[in-house]
Formats: sequence, structure tokens, C-alpha cells
Amino acid sequence: MAVGRAIEGVGGLFRDRPRPTPDVIMFVLTAGLLALGTVMVYSATHVRLGAETGDPTAAMRRQMLFAGLSLAAFIAGSMINYRRYRRIVFLIYGVTVAVLVAVLFFPPIQGASRWIPLWSFQFQPSEFAKVALVVVLAGFLAVRPSERLDWKRLGYALALTAVPGYLIFRQPDLGTMLVIGVIAIGILFVAGTGVKQMAVLLAAGVGGVTAVLRLDILRTYQVERLTGFFDQTADLQGANWNLYQSQIAIGSGQLFGRGLFQGTQTRLNFIPSQTSDFIFTAVGEQMGFVGGAAVIIVYAVLIWRILMVAAVTSDRFGALIAVGMASMLAFHVFVNIGMTIGLVPVTGLPLPFVSAGGSAMIAMAGGLGIVNSIWRTRTPARPGGPAP
Amino acid sequence: MGALALVFTGCLALLFIRLWFVQLAVGAEWARQADLNIVSVDSIAAPRGDIVDRNGIPLATSEPHLILEVDRAVLPLEVEGDVIQRLAAILDVSPTEVRKEVESAGSGLVATLTEFQIDSDTAYLVLEQRPNLPGVRLRTLPVRGYLRGDMMGHVLGHIGLPSLDDLEDQPWLDTNTPVGKLGVELEYEEFLQGTPGKVAYRVNPDGDILEEVGSLDPVQGSTLWLTLDVSTQEVVEGVLVEALDLANTLKEEDTDRVLPPAERAAAVVMEIDTGAILAMASHPGFEPQAFVGGIDVATFEELSSRQAFNNLVIQGLKPPASTFKVVTYVTAMEEGVFPQDVSSPEESIECSPQLAADFVDASQLVWRNWTYPESDGRQNLHEAFRRSCNVYFWEIALSIWRKYARTEQEGIVQGWAREVGFGRDTQVDLPFENEGILGDRQLFEEWQRNQPWRVRKEGWQGGDLMNLVVGQGSVLSTPLQLAVAYASILNGGVVYQPRVADRLESSGGDRVRTMERRVLRTIDIGSETVESLRADLAAVVESGTARRAFEDMGPTAALIGGKTGTAQAFTDQDGAFHDATAWFVGLAPIDDPRWVVAVMVDEGGSGGAVAAPAARAVFQHLFGQEVTPLVAGEDTER
Repeated sequence: MAVGRAIEGVGGLFRDRPRPTPDVIMFVLTAGLLALGTVMVYSATHVRLGAETGDPTAAMRRQMLFAGLSLAAFIAGSMINYRRYRRIVFLIYGVTVAVLVAVLFFPPIQGASRWIPLWSFQFQPSEFAKVALVVVLAGFLAVRPSERLDWKRLGYALALTAVPGYLIFRQPDLGTMLVIGVIAIGILFVAGTGVKQMAVLLAAGVGGVTAVLRLDILRTYQVERLTGFFDQTADLQGANWNLYQSQIAIGSGQLFGRGLFQGTQTRLNFIPSQTSDFIFTAVGEQMGFVGGAAVIIVYAVLIWRILMVAAVTSDRFGALIAVGMASMLAFHVFVNIGMTIGLVPVTGLPLPFVSAGGSAMIAMAGGLGIVNSIWRTRTPARPGGPAP
Repeated sequence: MGALALVFTGCLALLFIRLWFVQLAVGAEWARQADLNIVSVDSIAAPRGDIVDRNGIPLATSEPHLILEVDRAVLPLEVEGDVIQRLAAILDVSPTEVRKEVESAGSGLVATLTEFQIDSDTAYLVLEQRPNLPGVRLRTLPVRGYLRGDMMGHVLGHIGLPSLDDLEDQPWLDTNTPVGKLGVELEYEEFLQGTPGKVAYRVNPDGDILEEVGSLDPVQGSTLWLTLDVSTQEVVEGVLVEALDLANTLKEEDTDRVLPPAERAAAVVMEIDTGAILAMASHPGFEPQAFVGGIDVATFEELSSRQAFNNLVIQGLKPPASTFKVVTYVTAMEEGVFPQDVSSPEESIECSPQLAADFVDASQLVWRNWTYPESDGRQNLHEAFRRSCNVYFWEIALSIWRKYARTEQEGIVQGWAREVGFGRDTQVDLPFENEGILGDRQLFEEWQRNQPWRVRKEGWQGGDLMNLVVGQGSVLSTPLQLAVAYASILNGGVVYQPRVADRLESSGGDRVRTMERRVLRTIDIGSETVESLRADLAAVVESGTARRAFEDMGPTAALIGGKTGTAQAFTDQDGAFHDATAWFVGLAPIDDPRWVVAVMVDEGGSGGAVAAPAARAVFQHLFGQEVTPLVAGEDTER
């Protein structure tokens, strides 16, 4: 627990401030990532959109709109006292599951039923389900004051996770299903799961993955992505095309990058899904190692801030929410950036706040807003003091 | 939680190390790959298919033109100014002009410099200077060429860059390749457009082509063979201009009144046993070539203010007037409805100067024949048709009204009219056809609900039927509908789809598609009726309202049958006076008809005086005679 104490130590610098203030660093970094995403989406789309529709800024304007809504979601999340969610966790859970069931009945887009059309937008419930599950699991596991979880409660928690996980798998959206699992593991770990229980969970996890691979439950493209990952020189035109092109783009950025709006790979559309899952290739090519590393550091600081909230709050519910959010953010960043540089298999997860895609941005910004709300109310209000 | 923090730190550190490895340790190799990796795929526009007349005389072709392109994605910004200077020197124009053209495309896009003519010398200079002109490319682009000015403009139509709607419907369209917008260019777009080719090059970041990776040749669109005949079309177009001159000369001679000039006219020549159209002309017209490379706004607005883009043959709606009497004639014969106390087509009544109707509704009560104040003598159905006696036909309407008002049978005239093609589209293979109007009780009720300003509140009345049987009031049709109606009755009851296209052939000469003659429906019409009508149509030309118009034709006039029509002059809601519309629909050879000719001169005055002579000139051409100048025929029917 040395690191934990170290974090608490740093957090202690702020602990005795008389008035709970919002976490300015968290807000500024989130806004910075949203701005970066807008610029990167423009750099990757303006040539094609200009040529095809005469409106080079269309994708960027959409991204700006989502960025604005995300900031609003952050502020809204910050303003609402997160403790109120505790009383309605099962309502939140019920609505989430209902929407995840509903989405399966909408017409599939490119073979996946992930979206519900809303005016000219595509609402993606699974993105909000991740945040909702963090709150629900935190609420369910924070009821016990003791450090240990019994098997029964662990079983319930797993069941709570499995239902949305299965529904998302049915869409199918393997990446998001994995996020759901990681959130659960992160929260369970901090909520006091014992070593024996963890070992059983891990064994079950490994068994599950093996079964999935063996039993033909995965679609062919999913298997190809996985096997392709283990032999990255095979099938460069097919399954490994994205990975190959994305490494070319990032690699060619070298130390300082090719300069904003200068990367040939980004401008000329070599990389499929570049504005969504592969947005980091635009960062890597145009801004180089310096830019890419800076982005990773920004995420590191964000995760550090969230974990510190978990460390300093006196409320167990808040601490578990923060841990869940940190797990979710870290997993997204690791898998997304990792896949563009050949570190993990290609999985369709957005880079938080940077990738195009409104639902993910807004949901995650709202999630960080909740964390900020925990930070603002981390110490109980003192009698006569200002309201938290 | 510390452990969790450790795991996260470890993961991010892994990303960091891997990023360092990809970008810095082996980055140089990836960068080299990126340079090799710029594959530039150029689309090669396909030439549009040719359009030729029925004898293969070319009307529209595709000619390769050299054009310059500047790829601003490849042209570095620092040297753009220099490149523009060099290009201006080669093209011998000012750098400002070149800059304007280049900047017409946004940064990073390809500017197409269509403004500048590139001959082979200029092309050579560009190729020679190539190393100093990064991003500049020469390209041959097929350009549409119309070989005969404004001839057949309405049938050919025109092309233009795809609109947003076009792109929405057909997302595969290239925004820079024109598509058909009107006429057969639009109707047969999918066959004419061809298939673009592709060529893929590996280029370095400066745009220098390193190697060609692969290519696919473009395929020219199919050749469209029209049913139209250039020589007939030429005559018909000329005759329309002459007919307008004739109408306007007659107006000037009329010292009693100041009449608005005639400005629009249309004519169509169709084979009655196939539906193939030999000529289709509408005046005023336009030159399709004006649209190639984009039409300028002033020209476009001038042409549209004169309604020059309207093909009156399929869009010009006018009351068919007495030409509609063939329908009433057929109804009388087939249904056995004649004036009161008349039981056969041979029995005659007085074609009095005026008729007093005994309506008790809101209908007009006094109806004047065009001979008013003279009587036209006693006439039976045949004579009334020949002399275009309205009174006889009104009496038919009155008989129908007395017997059948407000029953199913009330609409027997409209029933026959609809069978022969009034109030419905002819399905001609041209876009934007107008289906016209055919009034009856049902339509009036519909209008009372949707467009109450169009009809009086009393609804369908006996007077409306009286108007309709002589082709006035609530019946409006196009010249093509009249041609189709006459053709279908006179060929014994087969309604063919009229068409301007005969077949499509690939540029290699293989048959792609043949537009077979198509029967839309058959009408059960007695051969006695057809024979009787045929004789009476011949009598109109021999001794009726069209006699004088065909005098110049000599004995051949005996081979022609037809009917004049003169739609009443009227004053519109804005108080403007509109002169009568002149009509003639004729068939030849009348013993065994082969062609139908319909002529309409908008505000041209009398059908006998203006439209019939115009049709006479067209028949002269069809019979291989010398086409003599138009001379006014008899001023009838008004």
C-alpha cells in the first residue's frame, strides 16, 4: 500500500482547504483532450470532405458540438451531489438494462445493433452503460463496512455485471464488453475481494476466453484480429491492414511529427476508422513522439487525479466510483493507444475525449463530472461551514 | 488501491516504451514506408455515349479535351506562388487568373483548370517543365459536343454537374463529372454515362509518380439511337418558325384589334403503328452546348424567362378545342348518343347560329356557334365534324346530360377520352411529361376539397360537359396526347407508348437494349366507327375547315385527313389578353394511316388559318414533295 499512502500524502496537501473546490486540473485536462480531438478529426477529414461534399469542416463541427455537450455533461455531473445516486442504483441499473435490450431491436449498422437513431445522431447506449455500471457496482459493494466480501455478494456483483456484459456482447461489441469486465474487476479488487476469490475469478476469466475462442462464438473478423495480432506480418492487405497502416503513420511521425495538417497518411486516408478508433495515428503522425507522449502523460495525470479522489474521500461509495472510473479510463487508453502501436490486438474502443463519437465522449465526461462531485464533497460539511 | 495504481502506471509505461520504439527506434523505417505508401488513385472519366438519329447521323458526341489539374495536396505551399508564375508564363495569361482558378479548390484539393485551352504545344511545355511544377498534371477529359446547334434541343436535353439530390440518390457519382439533366440525356443517363476507369500510382510525397500500380480503362457509354430523323426534324423546326411569322403577319393585318404576338409553338410527328417519334419540336428552344462546362447565369435566365427549356410537345397544356371532337364523335357512334330526336349519324339538324340550353343549374344558357350570326345549314354528324359545328356537338352533350346526368353513364365522353390517353401520361421516354387535365364530377369534387379556387361551388354542371365535348373548359392536353389519341383511334384501337429512343448499342457496336414497340392498352372500338371517322377526317381536308390550307399541296392533299382546332381566346386573372391557340392534328396516308402530325401554335389564332398550313408543309416533306412556303388557310372556328 506504499503507493496508496504516497497518493494520500499528496492529496493531503489539499485536504484541509476550508472550501471544497472543483478539481481544476481535471477539468482543464479534459477540455484540452476535447480540443485536441477536434483538431485531429479536422486533420483527418478535411481533405476528403472538401473533395466529396465541398464542406471540409462538417466532421469537425460535429466533434465541436459533442465536445461542448461533453463539457456540459462534466459540469452537470459536478454540480449534482453524487450521493443521491446511491438511493437509485437499482433504478439506474434497470433503465440501463432496458435500453441495452431495446437497442438490439434497432436495425443493425454494418452488422452491429449498437445504435439508436435520434434525430441526426446515433445514440450508443453501451457507452452510458459503462458509467452506469460503475455507479451501480459501487453502490452495491459499498454497503458493507467490513473489508471482506463474502462469496454470496461477490456472486451477485458478478451477476450484475454479466447481464449488461452479455447484452453488449450480443450487439456485438467485444471491446465494450471487456471494459465492463475490467470495471468490475477494478471495483471488486478495491472493494475487498480476497486473494482466493481473485484467483477463482481470474481462472474463470481465462476459461471463459478459451471457451469463447474454441466454441465459435466469436465472429470470424474477431478471431482474425486476435490471431492477426500474434503474427503481425501475415495478411497485410486483410486483417492486419489497419495495424500495419497505423504503425506506418505513427512511426513516420518520429520525434517531432510531420507537422499539423502535413501527415500524408492522415490526409490521404490510408487508415480506416481513423477518426474513431484510430485517431491516435493522427496524433502520432502529425505531432510525433513528443505529442504522443504528452497525450499519454495527460491521461496519466487524469488517472492520478481520479485515484486521489478515491484515496481522500471518506465515503466508500465515492471511492469505489472513482476506482471504477479510473479503471475504465485506463483500460480505454491502454487498449486504444496500444492497438495503434501493435501492443494489444485491434479492439474497437475509442480514445477517451479524442475519438469521434458523441456518446462515448459525453458519457465519460459525465463520469468524470461525478468524480469531480466526489472531490467537492470529500469531507463532510462542518457545522457552520459553507455547504459542500 | 496502491496495487491498482501500480498496474495503471505499468500499463502507461508500456505504452510509453512501445511508442518510443515505434517512433524513434524503428521510426525511420516506418517513415520510409510512409513515403512509399502514397498511392494516388486517379479516376479516368468515361466518355458519354454518342446520340445519333435513326439513320446514324451524329447529334451528340464526346471529344477528348486536354486540361490542367493542380493537386494542392501535393503542391507545397512555399512554392505555390512560383508554380503559379510558371504556369501563367506557359499559358500566356496573368498569374492572378491562374491563382484564382487554383484557389477555386480548397487547400489540399485538386483544382481543375478548365478555363484554359491546352493545345499540344502548351501540353509539351508543361511536360518539359514538370520537375518545376510539382502537383501539376495534364489530363484528357472527354467533353460533350452537340453537333447541330439548337436542333432537337428539347429531346436531347442537356447535362450539368450532379446536384446534391443527385449525389444523395447516386452516391457513387463523381462530383466533377456531368450527368444528364433533361431530355434523353437524363432519361438514358445510366446507359450514356459509361464506366469511369481508374489508374493507381505509387507517388512520393512530392507527387512524383514512382510507378503505376494498376489501371482499369474507362468504358464509353452506350450509343443512343433515336427514332427521330434529322431531315424531318429540320423541316418541322423550320415550319414552326414560319407558322409563328404567319400568325403574327395575320395579327398585323387585323386592323380592328391589337393582338399579342404568338411566340410559342410545338409539333410532333409519330408513326401510328409503332409509337416511334420522327420529329418533336418546341419553339423557342435552346442550345444544349451552352450547358457544357456550365451555363452562365445571364443566358440561363434569359432562356428561362422565355420558357425555352419547356418542351411544349410533352409539357404545353392547352385546351385541345375542336381537335377533341374526335372523342365526342367516337362516343356518339359507339354509344349511340345523338342530338335530341336524332337516331343515326346520317340524320341532320340545323347548325343554328346559337343554341339555348334548358339548364336549371348555374350553367350558361346561350351558346353561340363560331359562325354566329350566320347559320351553317342543316348538318348530320359527318358534316358537323367537317364544318366543326359546335351546335351539333353541344346537342350530343345535352342528350347525354338529359339521359345520364348524375349517373355512371354521365362520364361516357371522358371515359373514351381517358381510353385514348387524355388526362394521363403517354409514358413517352422523356422526363417531366405533363399529364394534362380531364374534367368530370369526381375531379371537380376533388378540387372543391383541395383547390377550391379552381372550380365554382356548384360543382360539375351540364355546361361543363358542353364545354368539354368541344375541347374547351376543363380539358387540357399536350400535342403529344393528341397525336397518341388520333393514332390509337385510327389504327383500330391500339395505344402504343410513344418513344424517341430506338436502341442502345455499346461503343463497340453490340446491341445493349432495343426499345421494342410497346402496347400500353387496346381499346374496343368498332371498325365502322374508325372507317367513318377516317372518311370524315379526309373530308375536313378535302372540303372542310382545312381545305384552303392544303390547296397548295395539289392532288396529294387527297391523301391527308385531319382536324382543325381553335381554342378560345381569353383574358387571364391579371387582365392580360391571350389569343386563341391554333391546332391541327392530321394523318396520312388517310386510307391506311402511317403518320400522325400534331401542330400547336400558342396564341397563333385560327387552327385552319395557321396550324393546318404548317402541318401541310410537314406532310409535303413526308411525301417527298418540295416544301412550299406557308400561306394562311381559312380563318375558322372563332
